[in-house]
Amino acid sequence: MRARVRYTKRGKLRFVSAIDLGRVWERALRRAGVPIAYSEGFHAHPKVSFPDALPLGYASLAEYAELRFAEPVDLPEAMTRLNACLPEGVDVRSAVEVAEGAPRLAKWLRASVWDLAYPETAAAALPPAVRAVTDAGEVLVARLRKEEATTLDLRPAIHHLSTTDDAEDGVTTPTVRATLHHVEPPMRPSEVHRALDDATRRLAGVALPAPTVTTRIAQGEPTAEGLREALDGTLVPSHPENPEEATYRDRQPAAPRERGDDDRGVAHPGAHPHPHAPR
Amino acid sequence: MRSATLRGVFADAPPTGAPPPPSCRAGRATISRSTTSVWPQLEPLLTSVRKPARYVGGEGNAVVKDPASVERRWLLIYPDVYEVGQPNQGVQILYEVLNERSPVAAERGYAPWPDMEALQRDHAIPFFSLESHLPMTAFDIVGFSLSAEVGATNVLTCLDLGGVPLRAVDRGEGDPLVLAGGHAAFNPEPLAPFLDVVVAGDGEEFVGELDDLLARAQRQGWSRASLLEGAARLEGAYVPALYEPVYEDAARPGETLPRLRSTRPRRADLPERIPKRTVADLDAWPYPKRQLVPLTETVHERYAVEIFRGCTRGCRFCQAGMITRPVRERSKATIEAMVAEGLASTGLEEVGLLSLSSADHSEIRGLCGDLADAYDGTNTSLSLPSTRVDAFNVALAEELSRGGRRSGLTFAPEAGTERMRAVINKHASEADMLRTAEAAYASGWRHLKLYFMVGLPTETDDDVLGIAELGRKVAAIGRQHGRKHTVTVSVGGFVPKAHTPFQWCAQDPPEEIRRKLALLRQRVSAERNLTVRAHDPEPGLVEGLLARGDRRVADVVERAWSLGARFDGWAEHFDLAAWQRASEELGIDPAWYTQRPRDVDEALPWDHLDSGLERDWLRDDYEEALAGRELDDCRWGSCYDCGVCLGLDLDHELAAGRGATLRASPG
Repeated sequence: MRARVRYTKRGKLRFVSAIDLGRVWERALRRAGVPIAYSEGFHAHPKVSFPDALPLGYASLAEYAELRFAEPVDLPEAMTRLNACLPEGVDVRSAVEVAEGAPRLAKWLRASVWDLAYPETAAAALPPAVRAVTDAGEVLVARLRKEEATTLDLRPAIHHLSTTDDAEDGVTTPTVRATLHHVEPPMRPSEVHRALDDATRRLAGVALPAPTVTTRIAQGEPTAEGLREALDGTLVPSHPENPEEATYRDRQPAAPRERGDDDRGVAHPGAHPHPHAPR
Repeated sequence: MRSATLRGVFADAPPTGAPPPPSCRAGRATISRSTTSVWPQLEPLLTSVRKPARYVGGEGNAVVKDPASVERRWLLIYPDVYEVGQPNQGVQILYEVLNERSPVAAERGYAPWPDMEALQRDHAIPFFSLESHLPMTAFDIVGFSLSAEVGATNVLTCLDLGGVPLRAVDRGEGDPLVLAGGHAAFNPEPLAPFLDVVVAGDGEEFVGELDDLLARAQRQGWSRASLLEGAARLEGAYVPALYEPVYEDAARPGETLPRLRSTRPRRADLPERIPKRTVADLDAWPYPKRQLVPLTETVHERYAVEIFRGCTRGCRFCQAGMITRPVRERSKATIEAMVAEGLASTGLEEVGLLSLSSADHSEIRGLCGDLADAYDGTNTSLSLPSTRVDAFNVALAEELSRGGRRSGLTFAPEAGTERMRAVINKHASEADMLRTAEAAYASGWRHLKLYFMVGLPTETDDDVLGIAELGRKVAAIGRQHGRKHTVTVSVGGFVPKAHTPFQWCAQDPPEEIRRKLALLRQRVSAERNLTVRAHDPEPGLVEGLLARGDRRVADVVERAWSLGARFDGWAEHFDLAAWQRASEELGIDPAWYTQRPRDVDEALPWDHLDSGLERDWLRDDYEEALAGRELDDCRWGSCYDCGVCLGLDLDHELAAGRGATLRASPG
């Protein structure tokens, strides 16, 4: 039996590397007594895989794992037990059973929504900086590649860029929400910040303070209205949400559906046919 | 030699940033004495240090108590980097023992890597605990686990970053009590001025007694001096401030320093010798039960159960074996229960059956067989870090790795010739060694690792070359089993240790160790499937100075630390120049401590710490060694009156036939 889960990585756990987090998962699965399947051979390892790695230091509400079980399991019950054994900060929020032969999850992870939470002092500078970056034809950021300095254009990777407005949104944490396409080479939220900082220096002649925390809010398919989350199809808006209103963040583990007739192979609760799904 | 294996554990670790600031006290004034969490200041800095997971805590089974319910706080520190310190058994055991007391919060701390230390000084972030990120000054007792001598400078880093005066004499009412234990505490003198209380031996019972005393002190509002008075009366507690080393008036002809006359209590009501603590029944202390599960990779990721404490093999170089007598085995039932609970509470995939010579447990065969049966098919691996050289050891390893991977097996012949092994009392003949190698390769192991030492007492070049010869013979056996079968010969420089029959011996200077290593390498250079591994010999000089130094060496430690010495057990950090400059400035000659054969009737800096071994017996055993005479294992053979059992009114406690002992109890 295969399953896909979406989980959080935040708090102190954001300082744990992707490789280390794999071990944390393996131990939690063992402790929880979830019948995970093991690979054959001398180096038997549990069949848990992670479609992508979150860079060290970023928080996330939308990391994914693919699990293979040695026998059928009651998914909600197993995930409840697993959550009890995962460290604080890592929480499975959604789990779905996946049909055998379904394509790899990585295929559906085409973009990420990132929230860059800034200190209050950045509030005034953010809207003009966001406008400047959005309006620019190209946004060059410096990169070190094989110890050689190069510049890359960030602009094509930006699907949407938006920021909270103190007056309208009534929030105290100025936040930039960036929807970034997954491109090669990957563009990181730290580069969005660098672009915003460059713009602020140009426009106001001052530096933009660094974000306190950057959180991946969702991964999935970018659309005109927002991003459709890869596992359960929830639409995540392109504009930062008021934390009080954001329902997406605190969803409990979803009950798995019957194995889907959806040809994605994912039993997913939303009735949104995936634009790239094989017909 | 064993502590030298710490070096190079992370040999692949990339170099770190700038060295620490030259004046390490500079940060002192800015370190606040607050008792609130430093997390808000720390968090934004964590993305700019290497391996930030070292500093965040949050591990599985970590105990974080509600501050409102806590009356007494202990900070347990292992003075090395997190990934080395976290798996330490001593800290884990005491952590659980203390946290089981409801009004006590025991938290942990580790030495910050130099990049973090620099950042903490820049941002005035004090040394902190991992559970609540509380600053050191929020704690009542700060306890250091001194497993290895080379942690000395890191102890000073921790105290200084914590805002606690380095020297006990400078501490006041608000300062925590600074405690130290662990194997290196059997000669605490090079650190004595920095420590308030030292305890040698087993800590399980002692920490409870000290905690009870602290509770009384808090209830009755004792002064710091009264608390120290009270602590000095606990069995096994050594309060260095209450003891005074007395030296001869002048250096003897040909020597650079006056010898020690004695270390005396400052008052008549204090004991002249402080006995070590010994827990008689390990089954009564089945810890760790809920071992901490790290979030980032550490040097040992396994549920570790100590299957016995103590060792009776009598290897004359081995301090651990000498100071932990008598043997106290855990029963098979307790071990099995601990393994079951330990795996269930941690999710770890490996179990280590630890001790100084695990194959010697009286029920080892049944234990290994039953554990292998119990965990068959569960993807749990069992390991027995025994380096005993005999075919029985191979049989056990075979049992534990049923059907699993057999990549490498380690043995410790320790010396290359029969004569040399007789001197160090390592009972292993060359025939044993070759039979063992044959059995290991035949059972499917492809890589053997052999541990040796050079610089042993009475060693000649023939003994050094004997290591090469033995390595070559083993390599030849390996070749018969497969072209790619290899042997690694790992060589350390011998460092004589306190409370051993070799405590009087001269240590080889680094250049002599270097010469011997070159000799050895030359002899095996043509061997394709034999590799020699050895560390730089210079750190051994500092290890030796700390291992057998007296209280005068403390000044060198502090000066070397202020010159930047840190992580002295790490090849990438070891700074010989700092130590040389410190000892030159202070006129304290490391060679006088390390390279001078000491008279057998000379006062030794650790004489006032009683390991239970009779000095006469150590001297006799030293003479036997020089005569090349071996001594049997007293667990099975006859008693040779080392003094430990008689002194403690204990006997070797064996799991087999629990209740009956092999010999009549002397009591």
